[in-house]
Amino acid sequence: MMPSGAEKLAPPAPSKIAVRNLNFYYGKFLALKGINLDIPANRVTAFIGPSGCGKSTLLRTFNRMFELYPDQRAEGEILLDGENLLASKQDVALIRARIGMVFQKPTPFPMSIFENIAFGVRLFEKLSRIDMEERVQWALRKAAIWNEVKDKLHMNGASLSGGQQQRLCIARCIAIKPELLLLDEPCSALDPISTARVEDLIAELKNDYTVVMVTHNMQQAARVSDCTAYMYLGELIEFGETEQMFLKPERRETEDYITGRFG
Amino acid sequence: MIEKHLSSQFDSDLNDVCSRLMEMGGLVETQIQRTISALAEFSVDEFNNVVDTETRIDQMEVEIDRMLTAVVARRQPAARDLRLLLAISKITTNLERAGDEACKIGMRVKSLVESGKTRQMPIGDLRVASNLAASLIQRSLNAFARLDVPAAISIYKEDDLIDREFKGFTRKLITYMMENPHIISSCLDLLFIAKAIERIGDHAKNITEFIIYIVHGTDVRHSKLEGIEAIVVH
Amino acid sequence: MKRHDADKTALFARRKRFNRLAIALSMGAMLFGLFWLAWILWETVSIGLSSLSVAMLTESMPPPDEAIGTGGLANAMMGSFMMVALATFVGTPIGILSGVYLAEYDPNGKLSASVRFVNDLLLSAPSIIIGLFVYALIVVQFKEFSGWAGAAALALIVIPITIRTTENVLALVPDGLREAAYALGTPKWKVITRITLVAARAGVLTGILLAVARISGETAPLLFTALNNQFWQASLSGPLANLPVTILQFAMSPYENWQQLAWGGVFLITLAVLGLNVLARALSREKLK
Repeated sequence: MMPSGAEKLAPPAPSKIAVRNLNFYYGKFLALKGINLDIPANRVTAFIGPSGCGKSTLLRTFNRMFELYPDQRAEGEILLDGENLLASKQDVALIRARIGMVFQKPTPFPMSIFENIAFGVRLFEKLSRIDMEERVQWALRKAAIWNEVKDKLHMNGASLSGGQQQRLCIARCIAIKPELLLLDEPCSALDPISTARVEDLIAELKNDYTVVMVTHNMQQAARVSDCTAYMYLGELIEFGETEQMFLKPERRETEDYITGRFG
Repeated sequence: MIEKHLSSQFDSDLNDVCSRLMEMGGLVETQIQRTISALAEFSVDEFNNVVDTETRIDQMEVEIDRMLTAVVARRQPAARDLRLLLAISKITTNLERAGDEACKIGMRVKSLVESGKTRQMPIGDLRVASNLAASLIQRSLNAFARLDVPAAISIYKEDDLIDREFKGFTRKLITYMMENPHIISSCLDLLFIAKAIERIGDHAKNITEFIIYIVHGTDVRHSKLEGIEAIVVH
Repeated sequence: MKRHDADKTALFARRKRFNRLAIALSMGAMLFGLFWLAWILWETVSIGLSSLSVAMLTESMPPPDEAIGTGGLANAMMGSFMMVALATFVGTPIGILSGVYLAEYDPNGKLSASVRFVNDLLLSAPSIIIGLFVYALIVVQFKEFSGWAGAAALALIVIPITIRTTENVLALVPDGLREAAYALGTPKWKVITRITLVAARAGVLTGILLAVARISGETAPLLFTALNNQFWQASLSGPLANLPVTILQFAMSPYENWQQLAWGGVFLITLAVLGLNVLARALSREKLK
C-alpha cells in the first residue's frame, strides 16, 4: 500500500518550519489534531481545505497570534529553524518580528503610507532619516507598489485601493525583514487583476522568504504554490508537491476535494 | 464517473465528452470491420461508405477537441478530471489515426481488386491479424468506458501478437515476390495493408496506456511491460 | 392564469395601501416631535436674540429690579467655562483610560463586567443625585460651596459618558487591524496608542464633545455644589457663578431685568450645545482622512 499522505513528508528542501504533534484548542474544542508537517525554506506552501478545517488556525500558531485570545491554546512543537516557538522564553514580539503576516482584509494603519512602513521598522531599529527613506522605498519596490505610491507617500494608507492596500501591507511585513511570511487568504477581498498582481508578487518573494499561505481558492494554490497541504476537520490529510497534488494526489479525500466532488 | 461533482453541469459536460468519444470509437470500429470484410471478399462495394465515414470521423475529432477545450477553459479541472480530459484528447487522436489506417486498407484493397491478381495472394494470415486488431480497438474502448486496468494490460500484451504476425507476414511476402516478380506491386499493396493493421493494433495499445494514466496518474508510454505491471500492482 | 394575475394585482394594491398608511403614521409621529422642538428653538432664539447685548456679554450680574439692559452674565459664563473645562480636563483622561481597559485589556473579564454595570448605573443616574453626593462629600467637609465642588460633580458626569463612548468606538476597530499590529511585533501599549486609539479618534472626540455639551447645560449638580455668585470671580474657591443656576434663579425671580437675562443665558447655552453637537457630528462623519 501507499504511505498515507500525512506521513509522506516534504519534498527535498531544508525545512524552515517543522510542526510536531501539534494540537490546538478553542476552549475545549480540539481544532487541530496531531499535526506533523515540514515546510520547506524558500518555497511557497499553500494550505487548502474546506472552511473550518483548521488551515487558518494552523497558520496563526506560527506567530502565536492565538495568544491574543485567552481561551485558545496550543500544545506540541513548532520549530522555526530548530527552535521551538511554543516553548520559547523569547519575547513574543521578537518572534513575531521574524514572521510577517498578511490578513484576509487589507489592514492599513491609520497613518500615512510612509509611516505605515516606517512604523514596524522603528519598533526594532533606529535608522537615520535617509536610511529610513531608503528602507521604505526598498520595501515598497519589493512589494511592487512603489510606482503607484511614490508621489503620495504622505497620504493616508486607507486612501489606496484594496489591491494597493494589500500590497502596502505586504510591504509593511517585508520592511522588517522577516524570515517567514504568513499570508491568510491574502486575495479573497481583491478583484482578479489585483489578485494577479499579488500572486505575481508572491512568486517573486519566495526567492528571499519562506511563504506560507492559506487560500480558499484551489486554482490559486495550484498557480502560486510549490507545495500544498490539504486539511480536513483539523487533520492534515495530505502534503506534497503542488504539481503532484493537482495531477495525482495520493489520498482519495484530497482528490475528491480538488476535483470538486467534496460534499 | 463514479462519484458526482458538486456541480452537476460539470458531470454532464464530462459525460457528453465521454459519450462523444464512444460514438467516435464506434465509427472507427465499423470502419475497420468494413475494410476487413472488403479484404476478405475482395469487394469494393463499400468503398464509398468508407470514405464518407472517414470524413465523419475527422469532424468528430475536431468536435471532441472543441468540447475538451471548453471544459478546460470553464472548469479548470484538476487531478482525475484533468487526467481524464488529457487522455480523451490523446485517445481521440489515436482513434482518428486508426480510422485513417482503415481507410488506407480500403484504398489498397481497391487497387488490389483493380489489378485482378487477388487469387494468388496469401490473405489468410491478414484476416487473422485484422480481426485481432479490430477486437483490440473494440476492447480498448470497452476498457476505457469501465476504466478497467487489468483489461487494458491484457490488450497491451496482445498487441505483441500482431507485431509478430506482421514480421512473419513480411518474410512470407518476400518469398512470394522472389518467386513471382509479376505480382510484386500487388504484394506491396498487401504489405501496406499489413502495416496498416499493425498500426491499428499500436493505436489500440496507446489507448490502453491512457487508461492506465487516468486511473494511476502515471505516464506509461515508452516503458517496459514489467514497469507498467509494477505500477499497476501497487 | 388570468385569475392568478387578478389575485396578484389585488395583493399589490393591498400592500401599497398598507405602505401608504405606515408612511403616514411615521411621518405624523415625526412631525409631532419636530413641532415641539421647533417651537422651543423659536422661542429661545426670538426672545434670546432680543435680550442679547454687549453688556450681557461683558458685565457681571446686576442687582435685581434695575433697568433692562444693564448688567450681564459675564461672571456666570466665566464660572461655567472654568468648571466645564476643569471637569473635562479631569474626567476625560479617566474616562478614556477606563474605556481602553474595558475594550483592550479585559473585554470579557469579571471586573470589566462589573465596571460596565456600575458605569451604566452612573450614566442613567439622575444628575441631582450626583450633586447631592458631591455636596455630602466636599461641600459639607469644607463647609463651603465652591467651584471645585461644581467641577467635581460635572466630572462625575463626564466620566461615565467618556468610558462608554471610548469602549464602544474601540470595540468597533476591526480585530484585523489589532492583529496586524501585533503581528509586526508591536508592544501592546503601542498598539493601543498608535493604532487603535488613532483609528477610533473621531469617535472618542465625538464622545468628549457630547459629554461637554451635556455638562454645560446641567443645573442640578451645580445647585448643591457651586451654588451661585453675583460677582465676577476668576477662582474656583468659594461659590461660583454659572449659567444654568443663574438661569434658574433669574427666571424664577419676579424682576424683569433678571428674567430678560435668563432668556439671554438660555440662548447662549442653546447656541453652545448646538455648536458642540454640530462639531461632534462633523468629526464623526470625518473618516480616516
